[in-house]
Amino acid sequence: MTCDHLRRLFALSLMLMFCATGTTSLLQGSRNFEKKALRLLKEEPQNPKCFAGGMKDFTCFWVEDEERAGSLDQYTFTYAYQNENSSTCPLTTTPAAGGKLFFICHLKRLQMFVQMDIKVHREGMLIHNRSLQIELFFLLDPPANVTVSHTGQQGQLNVTWVPPPLKYKDDSMIYQVIYAPAESHLGQVEVARASSKVILRDLQSSTKYRVQVRVKLDGIAFNGYWSAWSEPVFIETLPAEIDPLIVSLTFIISFIIIVLVLITLLSYYRFLLKKVWPTIPTPDSKFKGLFTVYGGDFQEWLGHTSGGLWLTPAFIYSEECQSNLEVLSELSIYPSLPPKASKVSTIAMNNDKDTKTGSDDWRATSQDHWLLDRLRAFQQDPRPCSHSSMLESQDTYVALSGHRQSEDKHVVDTLEEMLPLEVLFASRKEARCESHSDLGSVQQNSGSGQLSSQSSFEYTNNVCAPNAPGYTYMAGADSGVSMDYSPMSRVDDIAKVVIYANEYKNEIPAHRGPLLLRQYHIHDDR
Amino acid sequence: MLRKTGRGLFALLLIVLEWTCPGLLSPLRPICDLRVLNHFIQEARDAEVAMRSCREGCGLTQTVSVPQTTVNFEDWEKKNALEQAEEVQTGLWLLQQALGSFGPSVTNTALNNHIDNTARNLVSINAVLRSLNFQEYTPPANASSLDGTWTVSSATELLQVHVNFLRGKVRLLLMDAPACQQDVS
Repeated sequence: MTCDHLRRLFALSLMLMFCATGTTSLLQGSRNFEKKALRLLKEEPQNPKCFAGGMKDFTCFWVEDEERAGSLDQYTFTYAYQNENSSTCPLTTTPAAGGKLFFICHLKRLQMFVQMDIKVHREGMLIHNRSLQIELFFLLDPPANVTVSHTGQQGQLNVTWVPPPLKYKDDSMIYQVIYAPAESHLGQVEVARASSKVILRDLQSSTKYRVQVRVKLDGIAFNGYWSAWSEPVFIETLPAEIDPLIVSLTFIISFIIIVLVLITLLSYYRFLLKKVWPTIPTPDSKFKGLFTVYGGDFQEWLGHTSGGLWLTPAFIYSEECQSNLEVLSELSIYPSLPPKASKVSTIAMNNDKDTKTGSDDWRATSQDHWLLDRLRAFQQDPRPCSHSSMLESQDTYVALSGHRQSEDKHVVDTLEEMLPLEVLFASRKEARCESHSDLGSVQQNSGSGQLSSQSSFEYTNNVCAPNAPGYTYMAGADSGVSMDYSPMSRVDDIAKVVIYANEYKNEIPAHRGPLLLRQYHIHDDR
Repeated sequence: MLRKTGRGLFALLLIVLEWTCPGLLSPLRPICDLRVLNHFIQEARDAEVAMRSCREGCGLTQTVSVPQTTVNFEDWEKKNALEQAEEVQTGLWLLQQALGSFGPSVTNTALNNHIDNTARNLVSINAVLRSLNFQEYTPPANASSLDGTWTVSSATELLQVHVNFLRGKVRLLLMDAPACQQDVS
């Protein structure tokens, strides 16, 4: 009794298993059919649409609207091979998407390389008619086990797959491999004939690629439709390798360029050093022994230097040669000088003439004698100055107005008394210092100056007395295009001078006054 | 002494005859590459397409016997190699006979070229079969006595049968030829 129960249970379980397996296969088959049928609906215009899934499987179908379709017994599917009698194929129906119905005929016993005539009747009326040869309508499953691997070489991938299991057709199959970067929609196609592997070349490095394969019979002995694309396989290509030849060439070229640059730098070493790291002028040469012997003690140095002390309560002299105008300006501070500007200008204009006989034109004072001596010394022993880009000509004088950073009791605001520059500039034609003034030409300011002068002037190195302390003033070079102002000398704290920044106001007042030398505090940053 | 001289002369004679006399041909190298047959198939297809466009002067004067082209793979695999070879060789002979009846009736020059080419290809296929060591075929006295034949009355049908026969049975025979299988193994 128990054994019987066990046997029945075992048989029942076996039946259930078979049923489940059959159902699963049927479901898979139906899903497979639906996929292929949907493809053929797009590709094949004729009805019925037929395809051979294998050597023993041939399916024909057509689609009708569910509302218009009749019952299954209204339809008859007949087929006839060449020189044979016709046969009938049993029909089945399957619902399709969109309210449609599939009418399906499965033929099991196939005959190839012979023409087959198909006729579909509905209630005795022919609705579909078609003639075909089965071996020309294969629709295979996509290749299975698509594997993509690296070949070891840059930009290459090896794609392999398992061909559909069809006898006599391995050498008649043609494959298409589509590959593209994962993000791209456009892909390249590689064709392989009678081979189940292909090597993709010229791929981008370090890129994720998507690879798919489909199969079709080549059309010589067998033919059919392209199968569906296989499931995509993603793989990233190898990173780019640096070509050793390119690396070595890059190194060589870089080395050559570096050598050339070094040679160029070395040949222009002094010039570049001068430009990049200009030597900071020091007043050592001007004040001999000041720093070496007296350690910077100017008082002591003054007390021990020969040549006299140029200090006056009112003036600090730079090493620059005093121009004739400067001489005049010094004189103009003192009440002995005529206050009228015209007279001063006349005197200034007559500089050249009175230079040598200057003593006759001045009042004999101790300072005047000293000034005269200086003037003679200047004329007899011109020495070139060291500045080339500044206003160094002794022929010109530019009155500057700057920031007053310290008390200056001696500063006289006589800007309004300044003469026009064209009057001030003496026409010193014989330029021992190669300086010249171009009276009458238009001059323009640039930036920091307000030169309303009508003249343009250029000054180069001039003679100077390096040993003598000179004025503290701002020299300006006005070439008519730009102005370059820099302090001429560094001034210690002997006299209070106005520190002059880069501002330059060279306004020539309307009225004329005596030429005066103004005192400014100047920072000489040389 | 004379015997020795005689033997020497005899040997020398054999050597000379071996060089001069063509004698029996050496066995042909097996032609297993199916691309040869593929070429013939494509030319046969071109001939069929050309024949479809023909309207006049391209018909058969009489009905001819042609081989059946139907292939059922299950039945085909049940046959042995000899049966398969005989079936193929018979079919090729029938086709050659049928093409021979074309000549006088076809007036179109282009179609004549196709027919001549087809006839030459059939001879080449026979040579391929010989290279595969298939037994030499002995044609029957009367084609109508053969079984498994069809009859066709139009040139289009004849060339269609020709194409199907090459694509089907001939190709299957060459694919499974023992001579080619030995090379693979």
